[in-house]
Amino acid sequence: MMNMQSKLIISTTTELVRISPTKIVYISSDGNYSTLMQVDGELRILSHQLGQIEKMIETQLRNDSNNFIRIGKSLIINRAYIYYINVAKQKLILSDAATFNYSVPASREALKQLKDLVEKEMK
Amino acid sequence: MSEYKEIRDDQIRVINSENLKKKPSRTQWIIIISVLTLLFVGIIIGAVSHYKKNKIQQLQEPEPALFEPIEEPEPVPIQWLGNTPDSTALGYTEIQDTLINDIPIRIYIPHNADLSLHIGRMNRKDTTVIFAAQAADVRADNGGIVGAFVLKGEPKAWGLSKKGYCASINGQTTIGVADNSPLFEQATEEGGYFFRQYPLVSNGEIVENELKGKSIRRGICERQGEIFMVETGTPESFHDFSQALVDLKVNQAIYLVGSSAYGWAVDQAGITHEFGDDNYYTGRRKMPKNTSYIVWRRK
Repeated sequence: MMNMQSKLIISTTTELVRISPTKIVYISSDGNYSTLMQVDGELRILSHQLGQIEKMIETQLRNDSNNFIRIGKSLIINRAYIYYINVAKQKLILSDAATFNYSVPASREALKQLKDLVEKEMK
Repeated sequence: MSEYKEIRDDQIRVINSENLKKKPSRTQWIIIISVLTLLFVGIIIGAVSHYKKNKIQQLQEPEPALFEPIEEPEPVPIQWLGNTPDSTALGYTEIQDTLINDIPIRIYIPHNADLSLHIGRMNRKDTTVIFAAQAADVRADNGGIVGAFVLKGEPKAWGLSKKGYCASINGQTTIGVADNSPLFEQATEEGGYFFRQYPLVSNGEIVENELKGKSIRRGICERQGEIFMVETGTPESFHDFSQALVDLKVNQAIYLVGSSAYGWAVDQAGITHEFGDDNYYTGRRKMPKNTSYIVWRRK
Protein backbone atom coordinates (compact mmCIF):
# COMPACT_ATOMS: atom_id res chain seq x y z
CA MET A 1 0.00 0.00 0.00
CA MET A 2 1.35 3.41 -0.92
CA ASN A 3 2.60 5.51 1.92
CA MET A 4 0.31 8.44 2.16
CA GLN A 5 2.87 10.55 3.88
CA SER A 6 5.35 10.63 1.00
CA LYS A 7 5.03 13.37 -1.54
CA LEU A 8 6.61 13.80 -4.89
CA ILE A 9 8.13 17.21 -5.27
CA ILE A 10 8.84 18.43 -8.75
CA SER A 11 10.68 21.71 -8.66
CA THR A 12 11.97 24.14 -11.29
CA THR A 13 13.70 27.50 -10.94
CA THR A 14 10.40 29.33 -10.78
CA GLU A 15 7.78 26.87 -9.55
CA LEU A 16 7.23 23.75 -7.49
CA VAL A 17 4.66 20.96 -7.59
CA ARG A 18 4.16 18.89 -4.47
CA ILE A 19 1.79 15.98 -5.02
CA SER A 20 0.91 12.74 -3.37
CA PRO A 21 1.78 9.74 -5.56
CA THR A 22 -1.77 8.45 -5.24
CA LYS A 23 -2.99 11.56 -7.02
CA ILE A 24 -0.95 10.84 -10.11
CA VAL A 25 -2.63 8.80 -12.86
CA TYR A 26 0.16 8.94 -15.40
CA ILE A 27 2.95 11.11 -16.71
CA SER A 28 3.61 11.24 -20.42
CA SER A 29 6.47 12.64 -22.42
CA ASP A 30 6.06 15.74 -24.49
CA GLY A 31 9.50 16.33 -25.93
CA ASN A 32 11.60 18.20 -23.40
CA TYR A 33 8.55 18.54 -21.22
CA SER A 34 6.32 16.09 -19.42
CA THR A 35 2.59 16.06 -18.82
CA LEU A 36 1.27 14.92 -15.47
CA MET A 37 -2.36 13.80 -15.29
CA GLN A 38 -3.87 14.03 -11.85
CA VAL A 39 -6.83 12.02 -10.55
CA ASP A 40 -8.84 15.19 -10.38
CA GLY A 41 -8.54 15.56 -14.15
CA GLU A 42 -6.04 18.40 -14.02
CA LEU A 43 -3.26 18.19 -16.56
CA ARG A 44 0.01 19.76 -15.51
CA ILE A 45 2.95 20.55 -17.76
CA LEU A 46 6.33 19.91 -16.17
CA SER A 47 9.55 21.37 -17.55
CA HIS A 48 11.40 18.07 -17.06
CA GLN A 49 12.01 15.20 -19.38
CA LEU A 50 10.28 11.94 -18.52
CA GLY A 51 13.57 10.32 -17.56
CA GLN A 52 14.20 13.06 -15.02
CA ILE A 53 10.72 12.53 -13.55
CA GLU A 54 11.42 8.81 -13.30
CA LYS A 55 14.64 9.55 -11.37
CA MET A 56 12.73 11.87 -9.02
CA ILE A 57 10.20 9.14 -8.34
CA GLU A 58 12.97 6.69 -7.54
CA THR A 59 14.91 8.99 -5.25
CA GLN A 60 12.00 10.64 -3.46
CA LEU A 61 9.47 7.86 -3.12
CA ARG A 62 12.02 5.18 -2.41
CA ASN A 63 10.07 2.00 -1.65
CA ASP A 64 6.84 3.47 -2.96
CA SER A 65 8.43 4.10 -6.33
CA ASN A 66 7.52 0.64 -7.50
CA ASN A 67 3.90 1.76 -7.71
CA PHE A 68 4.86 3.43 -10.94
CA ILE A 69 5.69 1.60 -14.16
CA ARG A 70 7.66 3.00 -17.00
CA ILE A 71 6.09 1.95 -20.32
CA GLY A 72 8.23 2.58 -23.36
CA LYS A 73 9.88 5.93 -23.97
CA SER A 74 6.82 8.10 -23.42
CA LEU A 75 4.82 6.98 -20.41
CA ILE A 76 4.89 6.41 -16.67
CA ILE A 77 1.71 5.08 -15.15
CA ASN A 78 0.45 4.56 -11.64
CA ARG A 79 -0.16 0.83 -11.47
CA ALA A 80 -2.94 1.37 -8.98
CA TYR A 81 -5.08 2.69 -11.79
CA ILE A 82 -4.55 -0.02 -14.37
CA TYR A 83 -8.09 -0.83 -15.33
CA TYR A 84 -8.09 -2.33 -18.80
CA ILE A 85 -5.45 -3.88 -21.07
CA ASN A 86 -6.14 -5.14 -24.56
CA VAL A 87 -3.01 -6.23 -26.31
CA ALA A 88 -4.70 -7.00 -29.63
CA LYS A 89 -6.47 -3.67 -29.78
CA GLN A 90 -3.35 -1.99 -28.31
CA LYS A 91 -5.43 -0.36 -25.62
CA LEU A 92 -4.59 0.63 -22.04
CA ILE A 93 -7.14 2.38 -19.86
CA LEU A 94 -6.25 3.93 -16.51
CA SER A 95 -9.22 4.49 -14.26
CA ASP A 96 -10.45 4.44 -10.69
CA ALA A 97 -13.72 3.16 -12.08
CA ALA A 98 -15.48 6.11 -10.59
CA THR A 99 -14.24 9.56 -11.40
CA PHE A 100 -11.75 9.26 -14.29
CA ASN A 101 -10.99 7.10 -17.26
CA TYR A 102 -7.94 7.75 -19.43
CA SER A 103 -6.79 5.79 -22.47
CA VAL A 104 -3.02 6.04 -22.98
CA PRO A 105 -0.84 4.90 -25.91
CA ALA A 106 1.50 1.93 -25.61
CA SER A 107 3.01 -0.64 -27.95
CA ARG A 108 1.54 -4.12 -28.15
CA GLU A 109 4.69 -5.71 -26.80
CA ALA A 110 4.74 -3.30 -23.89
CA LEU A 111 1.10 -4.01 -23.19
CA LYS A 112 1.72 -7.73 -23.30
CA GLN A 113 4.53 -7.39 -20.77
CA LEU A 114 2.35 -5.19 -18.59
CA LYS A 115 -0.44 -7.73 -18.73
CA ASP A 116 2.00 -10.47 -17.73
CA LEU A 117 3.30 -8.36 -14.87
CA VAL A 118 -0.15 -7.73 -13.47
CA GLU A 119 -1.08 -11.38 -13.82
CA LYS A 120 2.03 -12.43 -11.89
CA GLU A 121 1.07 -10.17 -9.03
CA MET A 122 -2.09 -12.18 -8.69
CA LYS A 123 -0.23 -15.41 -8.07
CA MET B 1 20.27 14.64 -23.69
CA SER B 2 20.30 10.96 -23.10
CA GLU B 3 17.49 9.14 -21.37
CA TYR B 4 17.95 8.55 -17.64
CA LYS B 5 17.70 4.85 -18.24
CA GLU B 6 17.47 3.59 -21.73
CA ILE B 7 14.18 1.96 -22.62
CA ARG B 8 12.52 1.02 -25.86
CA ASP B 9 8.88 1.53 -26.70
CA ASP B 10 8.24 -2.21 -26.53
CA GLN B 11 9.62 -2.43 -23.00
CA ILE B 12 8.27 -1.71 -19.58
CA ARG B 13 9.87 -1.55 -16.15
CA VAL B 14 8.68 -1.10 -12.65
CA ILE B 15 10.27 2.00 -11.24
CA ASN B 16 12.26 0.77 -8.33
CA SER B 17 14.50 2.63 -5.89
CA GLU B 18 16.48 -0.58 -5.51
CA ASN B 19 17.98 0.30 -8.85
CA LEU B 20 19.65 3.24 -7.13
CA LYS B 21 21.70 0.91 -5.01
CA LYS B 22 23.17 -0.40 -8.18
CA LYS B 23 23.76 -3.87 -7.01
CA PRO B 24 26.58 -5.52 -8.90
CA SER B 25 25.25 -7.66 -11.68
CA ARG B 26 26.09 -11.31 -11.95
CA THR B 27 28.75 -10.52 -14.51
CA GLN B 28 30.21 -7.92 -12.20
CA TRP B 29 30.20 -10.43 -9.37
CA ILE B 30 32.04 -12.91 -11.58
CA ILE B 31 34.62 -10.27 -12.48
CA ILE B 32 35.05 -9.23 -8.85
CA ILE B 33 35.44 -12.82 -7.69
CA SER B 34 37.85 -13.56 -10.53
CA VAL B 35 39.99 -10.57 -9.68
CA LEU B 36 39.99 -11.48 -6.00
CA THR B 37 40.89 -15.08 -6.86
CA LEU B 38 43.76 -13.97 -9.09
CA LEU B 39 44.93 -11.60 -6.39
CA PHE B 40 44.85 -14.37 -3.81
CA VAL B 41 46.72 -16.77 -6.10
CA GLY B 42 49.27 -14.06 -6.86
CA ILE B 43 49.82 -13.43 -3.17
CA ILE B 44 50.26 -17.15 -2.51
CA ILE B 45 52.74 -17.52 -5.39
CA GLY B 46 54.62 -14.44 -4.28
CA ALA B 47 54.81 -15.66 -0.71
CA VAL B 48 56.01 -19.12 -1.78
CA SER B 49 58.66 -17.75 -4.15
CA HIS B 50 59.82 -15.29 -1.50
CA TYR B 51 60.11 -18.14 0.97
CA LYS B 52 62.06 -20.27 -1.51
CA LYS B 53 64.34 -17.37 -2.41
CA ASN B 54 65.11 -16.77 1.24
CA LYS B 55 65.79 -20.45 1.70
CA ILE B 56 68.16 -20.54 -1.32
CA GLN B 57 69.91 -17.43 -0.14
CA GLN B 58 70.43 -19.03 3.21
CA LEU B 59 72.11 -21.98 1.50
CA GLN B 60 74.25 -19.88 -0.80
CA GLU B 61 77.34 -18.04 0.22
CA PRO B 62 76.62 -14.34 0.26
CA GLU B 63 78.20 -12.57 -2.64
CA PRO B 64 80.82 -10.04 -1.74
CA ALA B 65 79.66 -6.48 -1.80
CA LEU B 66 80.94 -4.29 -4.58
CA PHE B 67 83.15 -2.28 -2.31
CA GLU B 68 83.92 -5.02 0.13
CA PRO B 69 87.67 -5.19 0.59
CA ILE B 70 89.12 -8.24 -1.09
CA GLU B 71 90.86 -10.44 1.35
CA GLU B 72 94.13 -11.35 -0.20
CA PRO B 73 95.99 -14.30 1.18
CA GLU B 74 98.70 -13.46 3.59
CA PRO B 75 102.02 -13.51 1.76
CA VAL B 76 104.19 -16.37 2.77
CA PRO B 77 106.95 -14.89 4.86
CA ILE B 78 110.33 -15.22 3.27
CA GLN B 79 112.44 -17.65 5.22
CA TRP B 80 115.94 -17.44 3.92
CA LEU B 81 118.38 -20.13 4.74
CA GLY B 82 121.16 -17.72 5.64
CA ASN B 83 121.57 -15.04 8.23
CA THR B 84 120.92 -11.40 7.54
CA PRO B 85 124.09 -9.64 8.64
CA ASP B 86 124.45 -5.89 8.88
CA SER B 87 124.99 -4.44 5.44
CA THR B 88 128.15 -2.72 6.67
CA ALA B 89 129.69 -5.95 7.83
CA LEU B 90 132.62 -7.41 5.94
CA GLY B 91 131.55 -9.82 3.25
CA TYR B 92 131.83 -13.53 3.93
CA THR B 93 130.38 -16.88 2.98
CA GLU B 94 128.01 -18.52 5.41
CA ILE B 95 128.44 -22.26 5.27
CA GLN B 96 125.67 -24.63 6.32
CA ASP B 97 125.85 -28.40 6.29
CA THR B 98 122.68 -30.40 6.12
CA LEU B 99 121.33 -33.75 4.98
CA ILE B 100 118.66 -34.04 2.32
CA ASN B 101 117.45 -37.46 1.17
CA ASP B 102 120.50 -38.96 2.88
CA ILE B 103 122.69 -36.75 0.73
CA PRO B 104 125.16 -34.58 2.67
CA ILE B 105 124.70 -31.08 1.37
CA ARG B 106 126.89 -28.04 1.97
CA ILE B 107 125.34 -24.70 1.33
CA TYR B 108 127.46 -21.64 0.61
CA ILE B 109 125.61 -18.40 1.19
CA PRO B 110 127.51 -15.24 0.26
CA HIS B 111 126.86 -12.12 2.31
CA ASN B 112 127.71 -8.53 1.41
CA ALA B 113 129.28 -9.64 -1.83
CA ASP B 114 128.71 -9.22 -5.55
CA LEU B 115 128.64 -11.91 -8.15
CA SER B 116 130.99 -11.71 -11.12
CA LEU B 117 132.65 -14.08 -13.53
CA HIS B 118 136.28 -14.68 -14.18
CA ILE B 119 138.17 -16.46 -16.92
CA GLY B 120 141.58 -17.96 -16.33
CA ARG B 121 143.64 -18.64 -13.30
CA MET B 122 142.25 -17.23 -10.07
CA ASN B 123 144.48 -15.39 -7.66
CA ARG B 124 143.96 -17.29 -4.46
CA LYS B 125 145.51 -14.46 -2.47
CA ASP B 126 142.84 -12.04 -3.56
CA THR B 127 141.25 -11.22 -0.19
CA THR B 128 138.21 -9.66 -1.80
CA VAL B 129 137.10 -13.08 -3.01
CA ILE B 130 134.86 -14.85 -0.52
CA PHE B 131 133.71 -17.59 -2.88
CA ALA B 132 134.98 -19.03 -6.12
CA ALA B 133 133.86 -22.05 -8.12
CA GLN B 134 134.14 -23.07 -11.70
CA ALA B 135 131.17 -21.88 -13.69
CA ALA B 136 130.87 -22.84 -17.35
CA ASP B 137 132.25 -25.99 -18.87
CA VAL B 138 135.15 -25.92 -21.23
CA ARG B 139 135.10 -27.78 -24.49
CA ALA B 140 137.56 -30.63 -24.56
CA ASP B 141 138.32 -30.22 -28.24
CA ASN B 142 139.25 -26.60 -28.57
CA GLY B 143 139.16 -25.32 -25.02
CA GLY B 144 136.34 -22.92 -25.72
CA ILE B 145 133.61 -22.05 -23.26
CA VAL B 146 130.49 -24.14 -23.60
CA GLY B 147 127.41 -22.00 -23.85
CA ALA B 148 126.86 -18.29 -24.03
CA PHE B 149 129.19 -16.33 -21.84
CA VAL B 150 129.44 -12.61 -21.12
CA LEU B 151 132.32 -11.25 -19.10
CA LYS B 152 131.79 -7.74 -17.80
CA GLY B 153 129.71 -6.85 -20.85
CA GLU B 154 131.98 -8.64 -23.32
CA PRO B 155 130.54 -11.71 -25.03
CA LYS B 156 132.99 -14.57 -24.97
CA ALA B 157 130.81 -17.37 -26.28
CA TRP B 158 127.38 -17.74 -27.91
CA GLY B 159 126.44 -21.37 -27.58
CA LEU B 160 122.88 -22.44 -26.68
CA SER B 161 123.50 -26.11 -25.94
CA LYS B 162 122.71 -25.65 -22.26
CA LYS B 163 119.35 -24.25 -21.26
CA GLY B 164 120.22 -23.07 -17.77
CA TYR B 165 121.62 -19.61 -17.34
CA CYS B 166 122.90 -17.30 -14.64
CA ALA B 167 123.19 -13.57 -15.07
CA SER B 168 124.55 -10.86 -12.84
CA ILE B 169 123.67 -7.40 -14.05
CA ASN B 170 124.05 -4.29 -11.92
CA GLY B 171 124.25 -6.36 -8.77
CA GLN B 172 121.08 -8.30 -9.60
CA THR B 173 121.58 -12.04 -9.94
CA THR B 174 119.11 -14.06 -11.99
CA ILE B 175 119.01 -17.81 -12.46
CA GLY B 176 116.66 -19.46 -14.91
CA VAL B 177 116.00 -21.93 -17.68
CA ALA B 178 115.27 -20.74 -21.22
CA ASP B 179 116.43 -21.29 -24.78
CA ASN B 180 116.87 -17.61 -25.27
CA SER B 181 117.23 -15.04 -22.58
CA PRO B 182 117.25 -11.29 -23.12
CA LEU B 183 119.60 -11.13 -20.17
CA PHE B 184 122.42 -12.15 -22.49
CA GLU B 185 121.95 -8.95 -24.50
CA GLN B 186 121.31 -6.95 -21.37
CA ALA B 187 124.51 -8.21 -19.76
CA THR B 188 126.34 -7.26 -22.92
CA GLU B 189 124.85 -3.79 -22.96
CA GLU B 190 125.19 -3.05 -19.26
CA GLY B 191 128.55 -4.55 -18.47
CA GLY B 192 127.12 -7.57 -16.75
CA TYR B 193 127.89 -11.25 -16.57
CA PHE B 194 126.14 -14.22 -18.12
CA PHE B 195 126.89 -17.90 -18.49
CA ARG B 196 125.08 -21.09 -19.28
CA GLN B 197 125.03 -24.49 -17.59
CA TYR B 198 122.84 -27.53 -17.27
CA PRO B 199 119.49 -26.72 -15.75
CA LEU B 200 118.64 -28.53 -12.50
CA VAL B 201 115.48 -26.92 -11.16
CA SER B 202 113.01 -24.68 -12.95
CA ASN B 203 110.19 -22.98 -11.06
CA GLY B 204 110.51 -25.41 -8.19
CA GLU B 205 110.35 -28.48 -10.41
CA ILE B 206 113.10 -30.88 -11.32
CA VAL B 207 114.62 -30.65 -14.80
CA GLU B 208 115.63 -34.08 -15.98
CA ASN B 209 119.04 -34.43 -17.59
CA GLU B 210 120.24 -37.31 -19.66
CA LEU B 211 123.69 -37.17 -18.11
CA LYS B 212 124.64 -40.39 -16.43
CA GLY B 213 127.07 -41.22 -13.68
CA LYS B 214 127.66 -39.95 -10.20
CA SER B 215 129.97 -37.26 -9.10
CA ILE B 216 130.34 -34.46 -6.61
CA ARG B 217 127.67 -32.08 -7.74
CA ARG B 218 127.64 -28.34 -7.42
CA GLY B 219 125.02 -25.82 -8.35
CA ILE B 220 123.97 -22.23 -7.95
CA CYS B 221 120.44 -21.77 -6.70
CA GLU B 222 117.77 -19.19 -6.13
CA ARG B 223 115.33 -19.76 -3.32
CA GLN B 224 112.79 -17.06 -2.45
CA GLY B 225 115.21 -14.53 -3.88
CA GLU B 226 118.17 -15.81 -1.93
CA ILE B 227 121.20 -16.84 -4.02
CA PHE B 228 123.50 -19.53 -2.78
CA MET B 229 125.71 -22.37 -3.95
CA VAL B 230 125.22 -26.01 -3.06
CA GLU B 231 127.69 -28.87 -3.04
CA THR B 232 127.11 -32.52 -2.36
CA GLY B 233 129.40 -34.28 0.08
CA THR B 234 129.11 -37.55 -1.84
CA PRO B 235 128.98 -38.44 -5.53
CA GLU B 236 125.39 -38.14 -6.75
CA SER B 237 123.49 -38.45 -10.00
CA PHE B 238 122.08 -35.39 -11.64
CA HIS B 239 118.60 -36.56 -10.81
CA ASP B 240 119.22 -37.12 -7.12
CA PHE B 241 121.04 -33.82 -6.87
CA SER B 242 118.19 -31.99 -8.59
CA GLN B 243 115.65 -33.76 -6.39
CA ALA B 244 117.54 -32.73 -3.28
CA LEU B 245 117.41 -29.12 -4.45
CA VAL B 246 113.70 -29.39 -5.10
CA ASP B 247 113.27 -30.78 -1.60
CA LEU B 248 115.25 -27.83 -0.35
CA LYS B 249 112.46 -25.79 -1.95
CA VAL B 250 114.79 -24.18 -4.43
CA ASN B 251 113.01 -22.22 -7.15
CA GLN B 252 115.71 -22.12 -9.81
CA ALA B 253 119.03 -23.93 -10.02
CA ILE B 254 121.68 -24.61 -12.61
CA TYR B 255 124.78 -26.72 -12.48
CA LEU B 256 128.31 -25.60 -11.70
CA VAL B 257 131.35 -27.60 -12.64
CA GLY B 258 131.44 -30.50 -10.21
CA SER B 259 133.74 -33.35 -9.41
CA SER B 260 137.30 -32.22 -8.68
CA ALA B 261 136.85 -28.66 -9.95
CA TYR B 262 138.63 -26.43 -7.54
CA GLY B 263 137.10 -23.59 -5.53
CA TRP B 264 136.94 -22.09 -2.10
CA ALA B 265 134.85 -20.13 0.31
CA VAL B 266 135.84 -17.71 3.05
CA ASP B 267 133.68 -17.83 6.14
CA GLN B 268 132.85 -15.10 8.63
CA ALA B 269 135.95 -15.95 10.67
CA GLY B 270 138.12 -15.48 7.59
CA ILE B 271 138.87 -19.17 7.31
CA THR B 272 139.18 -20.46 3.73
CA HIS B 273 137.29 -23.66 2.94
CA GLU B 274 138.61 -25.27 -0.22
CA PHE B 275 136.82 -27.87 -2.28
CA GLY B 276 137.79 -29.84 -5.32
CA ASP B 277 141.25 -30.89 -6.34
CA ASP B 278 143.93 -28.37 -5.70
CA ASN B 279 146.33 -30.48 -7.74
CA TYR B 280 144.19 -29.79 -10.71
CA TYR B 281 145.00 -26.19 -10.18
CA THR B 282 148.71 -26.59 -9.59
CA GLY B 283 149.53 -30.03 -10.77
CA ARG B 284 150.84 -31.44 -13.94
CA ARG B 285 147.65 -31.16 -15.82
CA LYS B 286 147.42 -27.92 -17.57
CA MET B 287 144.37 -25.98 -16.69
CA PRO B 288 142.44 -24.86 -19.75
CA LYS B 289 142.98 -21.18 -20.27
CA ASN B 290 139.24 -20.62 -20.67
CA THR B 291 138.42 -22.10 -17.30
CA SER B 292 135.73 -19.80 -15.93
CA TYR B 293 134.82 -19.03 -12.37
CA ILE B 294 131.85 -17.69 -10.60
CA VAL B 295 133.29 -15.29 -8.09
CA TRP B 296 131.73 -13.48 -5.16
CA ARG B 297 133.71 -10.48 -4.06
CA ARG B 298 133.23 -8.38 -0.99
CA LYS B 299 131.34 -5.15 -1.66
